[in-house]
Amino acid sequence: MHTAKEKLFYDAVVVGGGIAGVEAAINIGNNNLKVLLIEKDLTLGGKMILLSKVFPTLDCGACITTPKLSEVARHPNVTIFTYSEVKNINKQDKNYFKINVTKKARYVEESNCTGCQLCEDACPVVVPDQYQYGMVGRKAAYIPFNIASPRIASIDIDSCTLCGACEKACPTSCIDFTQKDEDYEVVAKTVVMATGFELFNPNKIPRLSFESKNVITSMEMERLLAPTRPYNHVIRPSDGKAPDRLAYVLCTGSRDLTVGNPMCSQICCMYSIKQAQLLMGALPMADVTIYYIDIRSFGKGFEEFYEQAKGMGVNFVKGKIGKITENEEGNLILRYEDINTGKLKEVEHDLVVLSVGALAHQEPACLFPEGEWKKDIYNFAYQKDLFYTPSLSSIEGVFLAGTTSGPMDIPDAILSAGAASMEAIRYLKQASLEL
Amino acid sequence: MAKTDLKFGKKLKKYGAIDFNACYNCGTCTAVCDLANKDVSFPRNMVRASVLGTSEDVKSSLKPWLCYYCGECTTFCPQEAKPGELMMSLRRYLTSRYDWTGLSGVFYRNTVAYIIGFLLIIAGVLGLYFSNIFDQEEMMHYGHYFEMFAIAGVFAFILLPNIIRMWKYTVWDTVKFFNIKVYFGSLKELLVHMFTQKRTLSCGTERENKVWWIQHLVLVIGYMSLLVITVFLDWFSTDYMVVNLAGYLVSFFIFAITFLFIIKRVKKKDEKTTFSHPSDWFFVIWLFFMGFSAFLVRIFVDLDILENNFWMYLFHIIILVQWALIIVPFGKWTHFLYRSFAMYFDDIVTKANK
Repeated sequence: MHTAKEKLFYDAVVVGGGIAGVEAAINIGNNNLKVLLIEKDLTLGGKMILLSKVFPTLDCGACITTPKLSEVARHPNVTIFTYSEVKNINKQDKNYFKINVTKKARYVEESNCTGCQLCEDACPVVVPDQYQYGMVGRKAAYIPFNIASPRIASIDIDSCTLCGACEKACPTSCIDFTQKDEDYEVVAKTVVMATGFELFNPNKIPRLSFESKNVITSMEMERLLAPTRPYNHVIRPSDGKAPDRLAYVLCTGSRDLTVGNPMCSQICCMYSIKQAQLLMGALPMADVTIYYIDIRSFGKGFEEFYEQAKGMGVNFVKGKIGKITENEEGNLILRYEDINTGKLKEVEHDLVVLSVGALAHQEPACLFPEGEWKKDIYNFAYQKDLFYTPSLSSIEGVFLAGTTSGPMDIPDAILSAGAASMEAIRYLKQASLEL
Repeated sequence: MAKTDLKFGKKLKKYGAIDFNACYNCGTCTAVCDLANKDVSFPRNMVRASVLGTSEDVKSSLKPWLCYYCGECTTFCPQEAKPGELMMSLRRYLTSRYDWTGLSGVFYRNTVAYIIGFLLIIAGVLGLYFSNIFDQEEMMHYGHYFEMFAIAGVFAFILLPNIIRMWKYTVWDTVKFFNIKVYFGSLKELLVHMFTQKRTLSCGTERENKVWWIQHLVLVIGYMSLLVITVFLDWFSTDYMVVNLAGYLVSFFIFAITFLFIIKRVKKKDEKTTFSHPSDWFFVIWLFFMGFSAFLVRIFVDLDILENNFWMYLFHIIILVQWALIIVPFGKWTHFLYRSFAMYFDDIVTKANK
């Protein structure tokens, strides 16, 4: 049951509220243009807000993300829709796009919620917390994490037992089980796509035994190390023991034609080196080994960062892990060829981190009428004229921000969002379109 | 200092290698190989040697023979460099390096040479028949003698010198080791691997590989039995019931299993059968016809219709001569010897290094 469609008008719509989308929305809003920022998740911040620190500066990821999030949240020219799904984007004629958006019901009155978390305390239902990759539980009435933006509760209606405990606990009576999904028809002159990337699912490579408890992804390790971490310590999942011998398996799902992704994900070498350095602090007695094909420390300060990790005692071994087998203690035997000696080796580790690669997001192509959204051979957005600007998509008036067009690190994503917003503003001014 | 043969890669392509230059040296192939171990690792180093063109390293290596081609390296290679097929090509290359006559290389590199060889033999056999020097009975009699002399001759003049050359390249030139006791003690390896091919059993995790091993083993035993039955027990003219039936049985096994192998190569379902070099086709097809035509010849004898249908025997003897003079000394047949001798030499080299 949907309420009648409401019609909204904006100069620009930004799809995706990760770091690139937020950056683009701020830039466009700063130029006195009206922006609608649409995010499918409960909170802005995308993948970056989940990170521990950023390379190569080791700045706190959250401390860079959150000021930008509060800036966009307070921006007079930017409207934010979180927990909202873009259904489709249709170009009506040369001048404007019609975008159908569904704002999903949170069952919480957004404007009245103070984020006091009393509903969370009252809720008796515990389910795995998706923001902590299932490592801990959360309630059915919950705030994603402390630095979420907006920091308001919502009710996971699929897990909710409708016991009404939260309703009674809420001091502002903002819980409303009668809330419905709301459909909007948005008319906008330009669209910035900042839909980001997907992480590779290691289950596609059964040899790496991702089903073993002590084989985790780099994103899970990122959570273990982040300020909003699930535990106050780095522990391994099977028995809660602090790991002694950690292994990083680089190029999991990148540079690998057997999983259909020949491309380098550009971030894995550096985030693994960063995590290794953080682990040296978190687990001073642990050995950390990074198994690599090539270390690609190509950016400014990257090589120094790599050398710093070596200096701190991180082991770097040239050789791709071919097989991982679990033994009775839950430890993992990693089989690889040490390329420098040419010897086949089998080494035991007690926690293995798969440095998963960045894959194209499947969604953008589904939003546009068939055939309009062109992809490159890697399924990322097709960039129409790379030597003119990286921001042009195959559709005039639709611009590309961040990892929509390919894997990149955070500074590059912000740079890309800057370029996309600049192109969008130029497009708006040049056409001086009137609705 | 290693010598680099800049044209080595191009040469290997003629032996069937494809795409190995795509290798980026991650070592996945070695890590997934069930036959690689802490002391002997492959195939990545063989791919590397092929890319660099260090052909002398390849010449002195036994590793291509230690690979039994389950194909998992090719399946999991992230660059699709097909290391399994490279190892297969290296075996062909090594066969031609061991061969002192150089004919193996000619045959492997040019299919035309094979066909010319086959045609010459057809012309020779038919010429001999139609020149009326021999009558049918004599033809069969001398056909039988030919088998004996061919076996002895090919072994003495081609295969034995080639195995000695193999020993020189892989053992003498690398470890300079000779010790009667060790050489005698390691003979066990030679016999065990020659008659069981048991390495196949630990090669690859797929159940298919075990099935393949059984089929191959039956084929090898069947082939050797047919050799004994036709050459030493003179199957085509024997009156002994037991010998006759045994002949039928083993020749049936040969053509039935080779038929399966041919079907597999046509269907290309696994890595092992996806890339067939002309020499692979000739090997299975000729072996099939060997078994099948021998089977039919003996049926014709038993039905007493061979005299009026002597073309059947001519067909059989043509296949046999082609087999004995081309495929056995210079073609894929040699893998039977080189594989088992490689296990023998490898054991000696390991002991020498200790």
